[in-house]
Amino acid sequence: MESSGKGVGGVPRNGGIPVDAGDAPGKRSSSARGLLSIIRSYHLFLELGVFLALFPLWADRVSRPLGIPLVMVMRLVGIYTIAAVGLNLLMGYAGQISLGHAAFFGIGAYTSALLCLKAHFPPWLGIPAAVAVSAILGFMVAPVLRLKGHYLAMATLGLGMVFFVFMREMTWLTGGNDGLRNIPALSLPGLAIGEGRDYLRKEYFFIWIIALLVLLFCHNLVRSRSGRAMQALHQSEVAAEVMGVDVSWEKIKAFVLSAALAGMAGGIFAHIQGYIDPNLFTIVLSIQLVTMVVVGGMESIWGAVAGAGVITFIPKVVEALPKWLGEVPHWLEKYSNYEGIIYGLILVLTMVFMPKGITRGLADMVRYRRSPFVNPLRKKALE
Amino acid sequence: MKAGRKMLDFLKNIPQYLANGMANGCLYILVAMGFNIIYNSTGIINFAQGEFSMFGGLFAYALAVSAGLPIPLAALLAVLATAAVGGAMERLMIYPLRRAGVLTAIIATVGASIFFKSLGRVFWPSEAYKVPEFTPGTFRLPGATVSKQFLWVTGLTVVCVALVYLFFSRTRAGKAMRACSVNRQAATLVGINVSRMSLYSFILAAALGGAAGMISAPFASYGMGLEMGIKGFTASVVGGLGNTFGAVVGGLVLGLLEELIPGFLNVVLGISTGYKGAVSAIILIAVLLLRPQGLLGRGLAEKV
Repeated sequence: MESSGKGVGGVPRNGGIPVDAGDAPGKRSSSARGLLSIIRSYHLFLELGVFLALFPLWADRVSRPLGIPLVMVMRLVGIYTIAAVGLNLLMGYAGQISLGHAAFFGIGAYTSALLCLKAHFPPWLGIPAAVAVSAILGFMVAPVLRLKGHYLAMATLGLGMVFFVFMREMTWLTGGNDGLRNIPALSLPGLAIGEGRDYLRKEYFFIWIIALLVLLFCHNLVRSRSGRAMQALHQSEVAAEVMGVDVSWEKIKAFVLSAALAGMAGGIFAHIQGYIDPNLFTIVLSIQLVTMVVVGGMESIWGAVAGAGVITFIPKVVEALPKWLGEVPHWLEKYSNYEGIIYGLILVLTMVFMPKGITRGLADMVRYRRSPFVNPLRKKALE
Repeated sequence: MKAGRKMLDFLKNIPQYLANGMANGCLYILVAMGFNIIYNSTGIINFAQGEFSMFGGLFAYALAVSAGLPIPLAALLAVLATAAVGGAMERLMIYPLRRAGVLTAIIATVGASIFFKSLGRVFWPSEAYKVPEFTPGTFRLPGATVSKQFLWVTGLTVVCVALVYLFFSRTRAGKAMRACSVNRQAATLVGINVSRMSLYSFILAAALGGAAGMISAPFASYGMGLEMGIKGFTASVVGGLGNTFGAVVGGLVLGLLEELIPGFLNVVLGISTGYKGAVSAIILIAVLLLRPQGLLGRGLAEKV
C-alpha cells in the first residue's frame, strides 16, 4: 500500500497537502510532494521575484532610449502595490469601499517623517511606527464601517477631507502647506539604503522585498479563516452572520489592515521622496488607489501589482511622449491637467464593460475563451 | 474679562454669519435636492453631483464672458447645457449600469466626477474666470454687509424649490417619479417607464446643480465640485436622504453651522479659520453615525 495515497494518474488525492507518513521512504516522497505543492501555489511569487531581481540588470540600458527611468519608477510601483493590495483586501475581498485611503497614506508619511525629523528616529523605526499609527487611527475611525454602500463611500470621502484639513492646518506640527523637507533617506541598522551612487537600486530592492512579503502575507490571508469570512460577508452579510462570522469585527480587521498597509506605503514614500506636503495626499491619491484596485481587478492579489504598475507608468509614459513623437498639443504637456480624464475614463469604462477589473477580465478571456467584455445593454446582471 | 470681550465680538458678528450662511445654505439646498431626486428614482448617490455645479459656473462664464451673451440669456443657457450633461451621463453610464451592484455604481460615478472635473480644467485652464456679479455692489443690513448677488441666490432658490414642488405635485412625470421612489418594481407594474424616470431625474438634478453653479459663478472654479458635492450630500443627509424638501432644512442648517462654528472657534478660541473645510465633513459623519434618518426623521439610511 502506498503511504500517502496517489490518486489516478499520479495526482495526490488530498489535493497536494503534505501528509505525515509512517515509514521513511514514504516520508521522503511526501515531503518532495509537499515542496512541489508549495511551488505550485507560490510559483507566481517565484516568477515575479526572479523578474524583479533581474530587472535592474537590463532596465538601465532600456531607460535612456525610452526616456523613462525604469528603476526609479518601479520603486513607486512597489510602494503603491503595498497600498493597493491593502485596499483590495478591503474593497475586493470584504466589499467595503474607502474613498479616503490617501489619509492613511499621508498619516504614515507624516508619522515617519516627523519621528525622524523631530525625535531623530532612524527610518527603520519610523516606518513601523507609521504602520502602527495608521492602524490605530484606522481603528479609531472604524465605527464608520457600520455604514453601508453609498453612505460608507461618502463618510470615507469626508474622513479623507477631515484628515487633509488637519494635515494642512496643524502648521506647528506638519509645517502646513510648506510641508516637511530634508526627510532622512531610507536606512537599515548599519546599512544606508538611500545614499551613495547606487541608491536607486538599493531602494528598489528594499521596497520590493517588503512588497513581496506583503503580497505573500495577503496571498495567505485571503485563504485563511479570516479571509474566507471577509469574502463571505461580501456575498451576503446575513448569510455570513448565520454561518457564525462576526461581520463587524471582520470588517474592522480588513479596514485596519488596509489602513496599516497604506501607512506603511506612505512611510516608505516619505523617505524616498525626502519631501512631503499635504497636497500629495488629497482625494486625487485616494481615487488613484481605487483606480489601481479597479484596473487590477477586485478580489485579486496580483491585480494590485498590475494596477499599481499601470497607473504609475501612465504619467511617465505621457511625460516621455514628446521624446517619442517630437511634438504634442500644448494641453498634453502638463499631465496633471488631464490625469483626471484618464482615471475617470478608466473607472467608468471598466465598470461598464469589465466590472471585474481589467486583469481579471483578460484572465477570464484566456481561461474561458470568451470575450472579456460584457455587453451592458444585454446582460442580465452584474456581480 | 478678555473672554467676555471675545464672546461679545462673536455675538456682534452673528448677523454677518447668518447672512453668509443663508447664501451658502441656498446653494446647498439646490445641490441637496439634486442628490435626493436621483436617489429617489434610481437608488444611486451621484458622486458627480457637485460637478454639475462646476459645469453651471463654467458654462455661465463661457457664455457670458467668452461669447459675450447678455447675462440672463447666458444664465438660462448654462442651466440647460448642464441639464444636457446630466442627461448624457444618465444615458451613457447609469442606464448601462442599472442592474449593477452598489460598489460598481459608486466607482462609476466617482469616475464620472473626476472625469468632469478634469474636463473643466482642460477647457477652462485659468483659475480666474470671473463672471461679473449680476448686479454689482453691496447693501447693508443691520449688523451685516452683503453682496447684491445674495438676493439673486435666495430668489433663485425660492423659485427653484417652488418649481420642483409644483413638478412633483402637479405633473404626471413628477408623480411617476414619486411612485418610483416608493417602490420601483410596483411602479413598473402600473406602467411607469422607470428608466425614463431615471433620465428625468438626472436632467432635473443637473439643472438644479447647474443653477447653483451658475448663480455662484462670480465665485466659481473647477475645483469647487467635490466640495459642493460633499456639502450638498451633507445637507441632504441632515434633512433626511430621500426627503426632497427636507433638503431645504438641511441646506440652511448646514450653511449656518458652517459659518457659526468656525466663527466661534476663530473669534473666541483663536483657532484658524482654515479648519472650516472640515466642518461639513465632520457634521456628515456625525449625522450618519448618530442620526442616519436625518433631523426630520424621514430619511432612509438603511435602504442601501
